[in-house]
Amino acid sequence: MAQSSPSPVDPDRTARRKAREAAAAERSEDQTDLLGERALELSRFYAGKIETVPKVPVRSLADFALWYTPGVAAVSRAIQADPDSSFDLTGRWNTIAIVTDGSRVLGLGDIGPRAALPVMEGKALLFKVLGGVDAIPIPIQVKSPDQFIATVEAMAPAFGGINLEDIASPKCFGILEELSKRLSIPVWHDDQLGTAAATVAGLLNALELTHRSVREVRTVLLGAGAANLVTARLLLALGHPAHLLTLVDQKGILHADREDLDELELRNPWKYRFALKTNGGGRTGDLAVALEGADVLLAASTPNPGTIRPEHVRSMAKDPIVFALANPVPEIWPDVARGAGAAVVATGRSDFPNQVNNSLIFPAVFRGILDARARSIPDEVVLAAAKELARGAAIKGLSALHLLPTMEESEVFPLIAAAVGDTAVRLGIARRKLTHDEFLERARTLMGRPARLVRALARARLTPPMPQAPARRRRTK
Amino acid sequence: MSGSGGEGGHAGGPGDSPSVPIHLRPARDSDVSALIPLLLRLKRLNEEFDPLLKVRDDADQQARQVLKADISNPKAVVLAAEGVGADKDKVVGFVRALVRERPFYTPEHEGVILDIYLLPLYRRRGVGEYVLRETSNALKAKGAGVVTAEFPAQNEIATRFYSKRGFRPITAVQARSL
Repeated sequence: MAQSSPSPVDPDRTARRKAREAAAAERSEDQTDLLGERALELSRFYAGKIETVPKVPVRSLADFALWYTPGVAAVSRAIQADPDSSFDLTGRWNTIAIVTDGSRVLGLGDIGPRAALPVMEGKALLFKVLGGVDAIPIPIQVKSPDQFIATVEAMAPAFGGINLEDIASPKCFGILEELSKRLSIPVWHDDQLGTAAATVAGLLNALELTHRSVREVRTVLLGAGAANLVTARLLLALGHPAHLLTLVDQKGILHADREDLDELELRNPWKYRFALKTNGGGRTGDLAVALEGADVLLAASTPNPGTIRPEHVRSMAKDPIVFALANPVPEIWPDVARGAGAAVVATGRSDFPNQVNNSLIFPAVFRGILDARARSIPDEVVLAAAKELARGAAIKGLSALHLLPTMEESEVFPLIAAAVGDTAVRLGIARRKLTHDEFLERARTLMGRPARLVRALARARLTPPMPQAPARRRRTK
Repeated sequence: MSGSGGEGGHAGGPGDSPSVPIHLRPARDSDVSALIPLLLRLKRLNEEFDPLLKVRDDADQQARQVLKADISNPKAVVLAAEGVGADKDKVVGFVRALVRERPFYTPEHEGVILDIYLLPLYRRRGVGEYVLRETSNALKAKGAGVVTAEFPAQNEIATRFYSKRGFRPITAVQARSL
């Protein structure tokens, strides 16, 4: 793709673009309001999104002598003698906790654990429907990261894995690190690992499409929060040269001589370490400086379509790759980025091509990691998931407008689960070593079951049909 | 009030100075301009720990005077850290310490490390170890029989750095506003 030379500003064109952007923002706001009203109605109607359901026959109350006392005592003794048999004799093998302190929920910020519950219920529903995983939402009221860690550690015996959710950065890094160290079950923080894995998957395909190698590109990461710091770590693990990696935050390029570095060492040692490791990719200054001649821009910053300007994109190398992942509004609209010469554009939204979506990753990762009964989730596992997701795009044909599988291309998910299981076995962290085909078969079965369950419940009217939406007048200005 | 710039805790073994990416030498008057921003970085870091460590508006002038005075004070040790190789002649850190008399205790003289600061890229790899060793030697040469370090009570990085190297708390300083 030829790089368009910076043209003199056409005032009409700027005005048209501004109007288009404003209209799109308004449409999306209207849409969000409507969805919100409907969600509130439905939440009132269904009063919760998940429930526990027996998975054993209960023919009469006499059966409880088996499922409960006295019979169950033998099962308890067996687990007491061999703690790992809790994965065989109870639902632990497939049950995870979704734990949050409600300190950074969606775009809502620090809304607390009670208000976080509907989000965690939604996540549990996704885990079940997409991954066949039984996930229990557990928002907890805690005062400090230490208390958070102690609480999760205390509940670990019930679970085969822990999914941390919506915890503010940078405390999420310390919590994940410490829990991963203390627990012998995998701990995952989707806002770090899920988003980073999906981003890396998209990037690997974008690099392939533009005939580049991760070992020689210059990459700019805009935003140094939970997702991008892990994306940076994964890129380095893939062989991306540190001196070609530039992180940019609100204060500009993150480099080793920046005035706030000592404060960062105290408050955010994870970011501090990247400042030293990358040293700004050899640059100091603002985003514009960072982007000059860069091949890749991975933005996970603030939802504002003016954050990245067309001239920024024009200043990048030939055929630049632009990921504008802020939600709900990307840092630059895809058509604007493409108009400025971007060869591949991705966003976090489902209404544009190339959605970088952590739902492509987390259900499958947990399926694989639970089926392997893994003890942890090292970065090798995360990268295996990312690479398998990237490969999955080729099934329907990799192109600049089909960078990643969509959520509908669900045949990819069991493949990711199997890749995760294989990697856990290879790394020696699997309690149960299945073959690739066994992992795949199992994932297909377990991931396919919830859809049948949902259909059966609806057919039997055990799940009431959705009530009709009341007629609404369109919002008037 | 002052503190350590925060060496992360990679204890280099003894005698590892060949790999250390800095070189220490006594500071000269001509270093003062290069030392001021480093000293101010350290003081601004201290500001993070307690509002009573808020940096004054005229801190840069104060820094100039204090550094000048200490460089010519025979009871003070001021060392400048230079980079090596391509960074030779670039001042990348410093130490400021004073020998104080202890009228009631033995040893009779203590060498107080008031400031240690190294730019982030010049930390670890045994640098802190090397700086502490050189500073202790210089203080000993001026008659100190004990070496102490002053830094904000909340600075856990400094606390870890010193306690790993055999330091322990001996005096506590507590404060409240008036």
